[in-house]
Parts: sequence; structure tokens; C-alpha cells
Amino acid sequence: MTSKPRVAIFDFACCEGCQLQLVNLEEELLDLIAVVQPVQWREAMTEHSEDYDIAIIEGSITRAQDEERLKEIRARAKVLIALGACAAMGGVNRLKNNFTMDDVRARVYGKDSAMPHLDTQPTKAVGEVVKVDFAVHGCPITKSEFTSIARCLALGKTPLIPNHPVCVECKMAGNVCRFEYSEICLGPVTRAGCGAKCPSGGFWCYGCRGFVDDPNVNAARDIMAHYGKTVADLRSRMLLYNSQQELANGPDTQY
Amino acid sequence: MAKKKTSAGGTDIYLPEMATVVRSAPMTELDRFLEFRLDSGRELGHRPGQFVELSVLGVGEAPISISSSPTQAGSFQMVARQVGNVTRALHALAAGEKVGIRGPFGTEFQVDGAMKGKDLLFICGGIGLAPVRSAINYVMDRRADYGKVTILFGARTPAERLFTEETRRWAAAPGVTYQETVDRGDEGWTGNVGVITTLMPRLAVDPGRTVAVICGPPVMYKFVLLELRKLKISDANVYVSLERHMKCGVGKCGHCQVNGIYVCQKGPVFRYSDVAEVREAI
Amino acid sequence: MKSVSAKALLDWVDDLIRKRRVMGAQARDDRFTWGPLARAADLRLDYDVTLLPPKVFLQPPREKLLEFSRAGGYTSCVEAEPFVLLGVHPYDLAAIRQMDEVFSQDHADARYLKRREAATIVAVDVQAVSANTFAGHMGASHVETGYDILLTRIGDGYVAELATKKGEAIAGALASAADADAAAQEARREVWAQNAQRLKKHELKAAPADWPGLLRKGYEHSVWEEKAKLCFSCGSCTLTCPTCYCFDAREDVGWSLARGTRVRIWDSCMLADFAKVAGGHNFRKNKADRYRHRYYRKGQYIPEKIGGQIACVGCGRCITACVARIANPVEVFNRLAEAR
Repeated sequence: MTSKPRVAIFDFACCEGCQLQLVNLEEELLDLIAVVQPVQWREAMTEHSEDYDIAIIEGSITRAQDEERLKEIRARAKVLIALGACAAMGGVNRLKNNFTMDDVRARVYGKDSAMPHLDTQPTKAVGEVVKVDFAVHGCPITKSEFTSIARCLALGKTPLIPNHPVCVECKMAGNVCRFEYSEICLGPVTRAGCGAKCPSGGFWCYGCRGFVDDPNVNAARDIMAHYGKTVADLRSRMLLYNSQQELANGPDTQY
Repeated sequence: MAKKKTSAGGTDIYLPEMATVVRSAPMTELDRFLEFRLDSGRELGHRPGQFVELSVLGVGEAPISISSSPTQAGSFQMVARQVGNVTRALHALAAGEKVGIRGPFGTEFQVDGAMKGKDLLFICGGIGLAPVRSAINYVMDRRADYGKVTILFGARTPAERLFTEETRRWAAAPGVTYQETVDRGDEGWTGNVGVITTLMPRLAVDPGRTVAVICGPPVMYKFVLLELRKLKISDANVYVSLERHMKCGVGKCGHCQVNGIYVCQKGPVFRYSDVAEVREAI
Repeated sequence: MKSVSAKALLDWVDDLIRKRRVMGAQARDDRFTWGPLARAADLRLDYDVTLLPPKVFLQPPREKLLEFSRAGGYTSCVEAEPFVLLGVHPYDLAAIRQMDEVFSQDHADARYLKRREAATIVAVDVQAVSANTFAGHMGASHVETGYDILLTRIGDGYVAELATKKGEAIAGALASAADADAAAQEARREVWAQNAQRLKKHELKAAPADWPGLLRKGYEHSVWEEKAKLCFSCGSCTLTCPTCYCFDAREDVGWSLARGTRVRIWDSCMLADFAKVAGGHNFRKNKADRYRHRYYRKGQYIPEKIGGQIACVGCGRCITACVARIANPVEVFNRLAEAR
């Protein structure tokens, strides 16, 4: 590289846990800033520049003014990366979309819910507002995946974001399938790349990396009875990260 | 196929040997011409139609057809179309920079076999011209060994035509018919417009002494084969070069399989009559 | 052939662990797995089936192929420390012998062959029958060659056949154990005969020898589309298969961006993008085409490559691993046979 790409990190509606994963890179941060130059990063630095090549967006979009701010960022950046589940697909915040916005405001703000600065809209993923070049999936992101993507970008290489289910990594890890314990695991429809962390730790997959490109959600529904489960059980399991995800992925709008 | 070791004295089939870019020039917006020489000084030793696995350090490896004729000693040439990481990185390489090479791998156009002494009909779409050029130039260099030569080339647009100077030379050579067409013309274009099969009904071929070669995008084969049947050229006299992801090049990784056939070993060049019944082939 | 008590066998294993790297079958959660053996007490020769086959040691899920640097180009990495594979079931051994053929033919794969050479295989006849095995139908419920040592549980002890020089080299105290008498040898034949019957938890109606013929006629059979409808394209059936070996290669660089590694990693023809080429065209885009491909690999394509052996040994791992319950070769070949 002749010059290091200039990187700015922005946060929208989220817990900032994915940025925290970046801060948690610790000594690897020094390696990271050897290949990229951060110019704006609220959580980690005081300097501030609007001249950047790569914009990293954390969080989902829940207000009209955030959409405007995001569009401005997109206009400045050559490459825009969605960081984490909230940015990539709306994340846990998307749960909100299962309710009316009045309900949501009333539940959270009580009698103040009508105040104009508390206005809110259904959660959008970054990609529903502007073009996203790459998504770093996960809640939170996987550090090693992020650093690998960073090195790819420094080399001018398109990072490989898996388009196969978590089962691939789970099988390679030699795990016992969670379905053998009659648990609903979202591994078969969820994008791999996490190294099957949850099943390796004895939990089902929560689906935090979103669906693969062509998830067989219908099959998931069809096999529930065999595992002593119902479609309602499956739906509730999908609610956390995958509320209305399939709208973007295919014709099945059952959930 | 060539029984070359992939590295000096080595037996590791996955180990590339180093080569140096000796020439790199843009051809179209998407395509770049690249010429290489093996650092060991050995000849690549390929046959027309074969491919190599080319590595760009840190980026990865991809199968790429060899575009030069083995009659041209000392170096070998390729056309890199920017479709993935490796080819994109290739576009950025300047003369003097290094790549890794494994191969050559795969089967060849039968320039010293079934094609010898015959009239030849080359039908190429887009980047498909790159591997076939190896055979065409082989034939040009041994012109007396072959009959009439007909070359059809189709590109999406005039600007996407490849080897325009060389195709002019082919067109001017005695006993050679060269025709080209584009899917969409532009302001300056006065030539043929239409898919490549539109050039075929007008061809005057002697089906009994013609061998045809097809290489192009996946969608092209079916239609070209239909036209060849209309020209009464038998399937046994047709050779197709099939594109697949020949990831390992040595019949192991499974990616290039067409039904039971490993394209990296039994292809990429097939006699069409051998694969006409293979369902995943065309 | 030697006769040893169970206790003497465990002592031998403990002794072996002190001298060699030993990979053994052991418990993992409610199932069994392969791993470095720390002590004989962890060895579970009574396991039914392991989660992953022992191919994990011969073609690891992830393996460094090459290292490279801008200055020095590429160099080969081959890891092949000698080790003992302790407790391989006959069907898995049958699969290993198929892999031996695949990786040694045409362009020989030095990494596989070196690791294979480094492995001393102690096989063990099946004691506990796994829920989905049909190895008895596939002629893989017992083997009579291919191992370095074969252990068979007879009553309270084992008979041990030291079959090769490699086996003798690790035999230690087994070598000086009492010779197995005629009754023990007869008892081993009886175990083999019983296992041929016991390892049939699914009823196969199409003899393996008929599989290639059934496939030749069955390309358009409705079973492919019907089963594939439920397929998650998750690769579990092939990743757990002892005869599957497809792989991908990936390259990663260190932070210097000037040095790095190329790794080989398991891949699967069942994954959506397996047959995709640069530029985006996918030559096996439909689930049914991928689903069918797997069965043709098992029953026709690999057999054509390795002298007719069917590339399924009946271990049943795919049946257990498939969440959608569509991966059972017995069901599929029975269906193809019905249509005759």
C-alpha cells in the first residue's frame, strides 16, 4: 500500500459492544493501526476528521435524522462496512418492529412518550438505507473475523464472508448436534463465520449472524414436529435476531 | 498430460513455483494481458487448451487458461478478466513482480491429433478466445498442416473485443476466414450485431473434413452446438472447452466435477461426443 | 494372535502413551470422539460410533498447506509426526483404505500419504452397535486386512492380531502375551459373523453392487427433488462422512501483509456455493442437483475412480448428523430399487 486507508467508525442505535470488541483487540490494535489509520472513533480517540476512505458503521437506524447522517457518511466513504448484527440486519433492535411505534414509545418512556425528541421509527439495517460493501456479522462481532477482513481490505482483497450454515463449523468442531438434545438450534439457517462458538459452548445457535443467502426456513418449520417442537417454538427462537429477516431473503413471510 | 513436477525437485502437488511478470498491458476495461517467465528458466511445457493454477501472494490461487501457443518459447501469456480477488490482483501487477504457478494441467485441443489436416472452425465467445488463441496461433505457425481455418468471435460490445490487432492479422492470412460480432454495437460500429450463432448459418463448411472448437460463456454452448448440427458436423468432430472451478487442478478437491468427471483432469477440453450424454456438462 | 486380559490391555495402552502420541476414541458429552489420549482409563473401546471419523487425523479439518513471504515465495508445510490411532472400527478402516486410493492415484497427495505412513492403526471390532449403522449391509462390519493391530473383545479379554511390522513395533507387552487358542480364534470369527448381522439398523433392500446400476437409471427420479426440499445445504452429511474428502484452499496474511499461509479446509459439495466459478455462475445451483450429486459420488463417481468400491461404508453418521432427516442412503437406495 502506498498510503494507509483512513478509517472512521460511527455508532448508531446499539450497545456499542462491537466497538468494544475492537478496543478489546488490545495489542493487536497496534497491528491494526499499522495498516489502517483511524481518523474518527468516538469510543477510542479524541481526534476527529471528516476525510476518510472507509466508514465502519455500528448500530441500527431508528430515527429519520440518523438516516440523513448515514447518507452523508456514505457519500464521503469509498467503502462502507456494517459492523455487527445491529448494523448488518437490525439486530436485537429489530424486535421493536413487532410492535406499533406508539406502543414502543409508551412502554419505554411512559407519560413522556409523545415528546418530539423521543420520536422513533421501525428499525432498519444499514443496508436498508445506504449501500453496504461488507458486513461483519455477529452479536458481538468475532475479533478474528474483523481483523481478517481488515487485512483483506488493506490488500485490496474482497473478504470471504461465509454463505454456508453454522453447522459446517459446528461439525468441524466435533460437537454433538443440539437437535440431539431436542433443542431448536438456528445453526442450519444461520450464516457461519463465528466458529460455532455457542454450540461449542453447549448452547443452541441464536442466529446472531443472520440467515445464509438462501435459508431453508420452510424446512426448519417442517421438521419441528420430529423434535417435539412447534412452529411457534421456532418462531419465538427466531424473534431475537431474525424478526422479519426473511422479508429481505425470500417470499416466506410466515414469521 | 504433462508429467512435470510442480517445483524444482519437489513432489508437493500444491506448491507453486515462482514466475515473473515480463509484460502487462490493458486490453479492455475488464481484461488484462499478462506475460510470464518461470524463474527456474524452464519452459512451462504446455499444450494448447491447458491451464495453470496461478497464485498472487497473499491473495490466493485461481485457474487461468494459457493463451499463448507453445510454439512461442521462453514465456507464456494469459488474459486475466477481473472477476475475483486473484484476477483483480493480477491487474495491479507490474512487470518484474512475482506470481506462483502450478501446472500446466488438463487436456489439450487436438492440434497434433484430430485437428491435423482438417478444416478448422473456431467459435469463441468473450474471454473464451483466450485459451483458443493458443490453438489458433499454433495452427498459424504450422499453417501447412491444416486446411481451411474459420474463426468466429463474439463479444458483448466493440470495446470488449480481445486481441484486435492479432485478429486483424488472422483475418488477412491466406486460407483464413475471420468473422466477429457484438451483442450491442456502438456509434462507430459497422460490423455484425447479434449473438455468435447469427454468424453460423452463412458458413460454407465441408462437414466431412471440419473439426470445430467451442469456448465461451456457459450459455453459449447449447446454441452453438445446435447450429453445428445444422451444419452436419458430427459430435465426434467437435471439441468444447468447459469452464469450472478447477481449484486444486489435480483431481482431488471436487470443485470442478461435472457429474463424475474431474474437469481439471479429463478436461477442460472434451470431445463433445464424449460428454454429450453427461448431464451437467453443457 | 495373542490373548490378553482387559487389564493387561489397559496396561499396554498406558505404556504406549508414555512412548508414542496416541489418538484414541473417548467420550464427549453423550457421544464419542477422537482425541489425544492422556491415559488408558479414558479410552472407550466400547464406543458405538465417533462424532467425526478418524479422517480428522489424515485429512484434518484445517491444515496449513503453504507458508509464503514476498521475499521468499512459497514453501511447503507438512506435519506428519508418528502417532497411533487407537480403536478404529472396521467400517472406518474400510473408508481409510478408500482414501488411501484416492490420495495416492494420479497426482499423489504427499501430505495425506505422509500422515498415513506416520499412522499406526489399531483397529477394534465393534462392541456396541450405534443407532444408525448399516455397515453389515456394506460389507464393512469387519475387516481382515488394513490394520496394524486388530483387537477383538472376547469374553473378559481381547484377542490381538499383530498384523504388520508397524503393529509389532508398538506391540510391547502384547508380543509376549499368550498365543490365542483355537477357541479364541473361533470366537473372533463368531464376533465377525454376529457383527455382520448386528450392524444392520436399517434394512437395505438394494445390494451395494447394484447401486451404480440404480443410479444410472435414476437420474430423474423424484426422490432427489422430494428429499432436497428439506435440505439446509449445511454439509453435515458429508463433513461427518469417512469417505468424503473435498476441500477448499484459503489464504491469509499476517499484519505485515507480506507473509502468510495457505490453508486447506474441509469443503462440501452440499454447500450452496461449492460449484460457483469466479464471475458468479453456479453450476450446481439447485439443492436437488447438489443432493443428488452426493449420492452419485457415493454410488457411482468415486467407485469409478477406485476400482468399484462403493464410497459408503454404512457408518450411519450422515443419518444421525442430518437435522432434516433426509441423508439416509438406505432410504434413498431402497427408493431407487422400488422403482425398478
